[in-house]
Amino acid sequence: MAVQTVSPADLSPPAKQTSLWSRIWHNDAPGYLFLLPWLVGFLGLTIGPMVTSLYLSFTDFDLLTAPEWVGANNYIRMLTNDPKFWTSMRVTMFFVIFSVPLKLAFALAVAMLLNRGIRGLPLYRALFYLPSLLGASVAIAILWRQIFAGDGLVNKFLAMFGIIGPSWISNPNYSLWTLIVLSIWQFGSPMIIFLAGLRQIPQDMYEAASLDGASKWRQFVKITLPLLTPVVFFNAIIQTIEAFKSFTPAFIISGGTGNPINSTLFYTLYLYQEAFGFFRMGYASALAWVLLALVGVFTAFSFLTSKYWVHYDD
Amino acid sequence: MTIRVDRRKFLMGSTALAAAGAMGVMPAWAQSEDLRLIFWGGQARADRTNKVTDLFEQAKGGSVQSEFLAWNDYWPKLATQTAGGNAPDVIQMDYRYIVEYAKRNAIAPLDEFVGGALQLADFDQDQLEGGKVDGKLYGISLGANSVAMLMNVTAFEEAGIEPPTNDWTYDDIMTMGEAFKAANVRGGMKLIADGSYNEPMLNNWLRQKGKELYTADGKLAFEEADMVEWFKLWQTMRDAGVCVAPDEQALDTGPLESTMLVSGKAALLPANSNQLVAFQAIMQDKVDMVGHPRIAPGAGGGHYRKPSMFFSVAASSANKERAAEFLNFFISDPEAAKILDVERGIPCLPSTRDVVAPILDEQNLIALNFVSNLGDLLGPLPPPPPAAAGEIDLSLLRVIGQEVGFGARTPEDGAAYFVSEATAILERAA
Amino acid sequence: MTDAPAGLTVVNGSVSPARKRITTILIHAALLGASILMLYPLLWMLAASFRPENEIFTSASIIPSSWSIDSYIRGWNGLRTSFGVFFTNSFIISILSVCGNVLACSMAAFAFARLQFRGRNFWFAMMLMTLMLPYQVTLIPQYVLFRQLGWVNTFLPLVVPKFLAADGFFIFLMVQFFRGLPKELDEAAQMDGCSPWRIYWKIVMPLSLPVLATAAIFTFIWTWDDFFGPLIYLSEMRQYTVMLGLRTFTDSTGTSDYGGLFAMSVLSLVPIFLFFLFFQRLLIEGIATTGMKR
Repeated sequence: MAVQTVSPADLSPPAKQTSLWSRIWHNDAPGYLFLLPWLVGFLGLTIGPMVTSLYLSFTDFDLLTAPEWVGANNYIRMLTNDPKFWTSMRVTMFFVIFSVPLKLAFALAVAMLLNRGIRGLPLYRALFYLPSLLGASVAIAILWRQIFAGDGLVNKFLAMFGIIGPSWISNPNYSLWTLIVLSIWQFGSPMIIFLAGLRQIPQDMYEAASLDGASKWRQFVKITLPLLTPVVFFNAIIQTIEAFKSFTPAFIISGGTGNPINSTLFYTLYLYQEAFGFFRMGYASALAWVLLALVGVFTAFSFLTSKYWVHYDD
Repeated sequence: MTIRVDRRKFLMGSTALAAAGAMGVMPAWAQSEDLRLIFWGGQARADRTNKVTDLFEQAKGGSVQSEFLAWNDYWPKLATQTAGGNAPDVIQMDYRYIVEYAKRNAIAPLDEFVGGALQLADFDQDQLEGGKVDGKLYGISLGANSVAMLMNVTAFEEAGIEPPTNDWTYDDIMTMGEAFKAANVRGGMKLIADGSYNEPMLNNWLRQKGKELYTADGKLAFEEADMVEWFKLWQTMRDAGVCVAPDEQALDTGPLESTMLVSGKAALLPANSNQLVAFQAIMQDKVDMVGHPRIAPGAGGGHYRKPSMFFSVAASSANKERAAEFLNFFISDPEAAKILDVERGIPCLPSTRDVVAPILDEQNLIALNFVSNLGDLLGPLPPPPPAAAGEIDLSLLRVIGQEVGFGARTPEDGAAYFVSEATAILERAA
Repeated sequence: MTDAPAGLTVVNGSVSPARKRITTILIHAALLGASILMLYPLLWMLAASFRPENEIFTSASIIPSSWSIDSYIRGWNGLRTSFGVFFTNSFIISILSVCGNVLACSMAAFAFARLQFRGRNFWFAMMLMTLMLPYQVTLIPQYVLFRQLGWVNTFLPLVVPKFLAADGFFIFLMVQFFRGLPKELDEAAQMDGCSPWRIYWKIVMPLSLPVLATAAIFTFIWTWDDFFGPLIYLSEMRQYTVMLGLRTFTDSTGTSDYGGLFAMSVLSLVPIFLFFLFFQRLLIEGIATTGMKR
């Protein structure tokens, strides 16, 4: 019996069958029928604005008057004559490199801890998700200042050990780290996804391994991690894309300035300044498409390598 | 009682149709008289504004749909609506953005309505001028304000130091600051916030030297040497511990609650005269205001009465005449004046000021007196800032000021970099 | 501050009961410690909502000098439209979004994960691409589009895209989970003559409760917290969502009502927290507990 579900890796043509039913089954129709809502949305609502923004990236567009074609000027200026482009790129890269692995590791660790069937589990899960509930509330900006200012909670704590800390949030050497900490602190979403993934691992596999005398660590490496790889892969890709696009935390904490000395000038914050602060939507669109190209290359690379380490059950 | 009298007087002067509208008998064609209004502000402003739109609806019929947003949310939404061909009829405008919107024909010149729907004969001349771009009137000032130095009076009392008066100078900052430091109030509160990248304060200082930030044709109106002097001035204060340290100053990201005054790190803060109410509301200490320091005894002319905000009319509006009528009502109707108070600044019509003056609360009275009695501190209105002024302020002055503060650049280096970059930005925008 | 529980990830060997108990106690201690870090902002906000306005930023203590519910009363009725309306609007939009997202995204994900058709990889790549472009630059073209459709000033721009699976995040998420279901299930069902629709509805969906619950939770919370969409598309106050209402309390240039802001912020957390509590029970059901895998 060759009829089956298919994975992208498995592209061998299904075996020929003669009945009408199986011809439809093998046809493209079911796939496209299930895809229909998405296709309508993509073609009707999404692709148009995306293509428009691509067009705008080759224009001068000040939002208020008609766009004016300038060829590749925006891209040329960006790469040759815009130090802020490189500053924001550097800030964003630093943020991605440190926040994504730390956040994922933290989320996985807590998810594992919470998956042990300890008492009060739902309560902990809810508590740990709380910071993510707060989203981008104004309160976060005020709170982060209270914690990481010169006379903030962190320094009060350090003072007990005789350490005089700097004003972390407003010192250009450390300010980006306070945003990385914020990102890690809001680890709720990947944690929940990890938890859902852990729940899909059948308990009997662990039981069998325990009977064979495998240590917990060995079980983690041999069972948990491989079976969790699709979820790890998902979280890694999504968190990286989100980190590259990260806007709101920097926006609320620096009041949209990238303060101090552009040390938290995230790429999209710069893009936003250009678009809505300085009325250069054409240039901002070019910035956006450069980001898309960058993230696209990263994602494509991840998908290419994924077949070597992501374990699908198909 | 007086309210009722004013109302009747007003109604008698208006048309029968409008009176019918006031009684809730809406004419069938009222739809075409509908206006949309958008403004930024907090809830207090919204309450006042909405009461006035109600009043206008009663008096003139039609409806006014209003929408209000916080400052940071306002500009992207307005830009999106304008770009989408869906701009509201009446738009609250800022001094900074009016050139941007006017030059791109997003808002309409109002000159054709002056003398008709817009009665501006008694309107303060400087405020009228402030709403002009290239000689055409694009915005009606909703109130005047001025830069001011807000001061924490309670902290001065605790330090046992006389608070400054309108005659104080930059030299006084040093002596007063040393004394303040010696008094060591509240765990080392400093005298003043770091104003080195506060654009209005720099402008005030330049104006006292007979210069400006920008010329009328959108170029820099000062020399590199001025900028060096300015940065050095603040460096001296920073080194002496008279103003707050750079990493403390960088905590100020715009919102009132992040300022050095509210966080109790400094007793003096450069701000605007109409912000006193807002500051007092979230502070336990008593707050008052004086003028910015003088560069030398007797020097003046740094301050000016700045239009705090305008109402403009969208170029795409189908109801421009109606919108102009609304503007006129908003600035001149006595009953509206009582509701609006001085929340948007000091009214620009003498008749409106007369209505408002007796009902002011303490902080607003301080602000009114301050702006009315600037004396020799008052100078002429500067030319409207060029379109790139906002970019220079945010991405240049602020950044370089911080770099100098943190010691990443010397004052000389910072000034040179500022002048060359600002010139480049101005040229690109021209 | 964030390292506390991470130190405990070294898994214990579980040798003796005594050691096991000590480990459990240690874990609880670490979890409790971490919980305080997580709770602190909420406690602070709660305290701020009961404080007098002029004490919020000037008092160092977390306990208010006096307790007052003024902020709640003022906040609830302070705007021309009561917060009850905003809550209703947020509910309508969020619940519709949950329905739309769970249905439309799971269908698309089913197609990508378990059906074969030409152009699948192409469309999948397109779907991922939509995740990568910052929304700031498609905002205006999208606004123009919705305006031509006559949808501005309605909930439609906020809800219809959800029914059209516009958020690729959820499609990708579900694809990853659907691919983890044993394929023997479909094979067996298909031998019994089940249509793809029946396989989707009767087998894949019931077995995917954890991921569907995850999607429902995220959709509800993110839609509830979403601010930019409502900001751009809604203009009349009676249409405002809670988040939009909250933003009107503060204005960085003038007078703000911080007490009202914090009071209503606290209230705005209640529905999403309850939604989370309710749906998180589904997170632990599904395959692992029904024991259907393999």
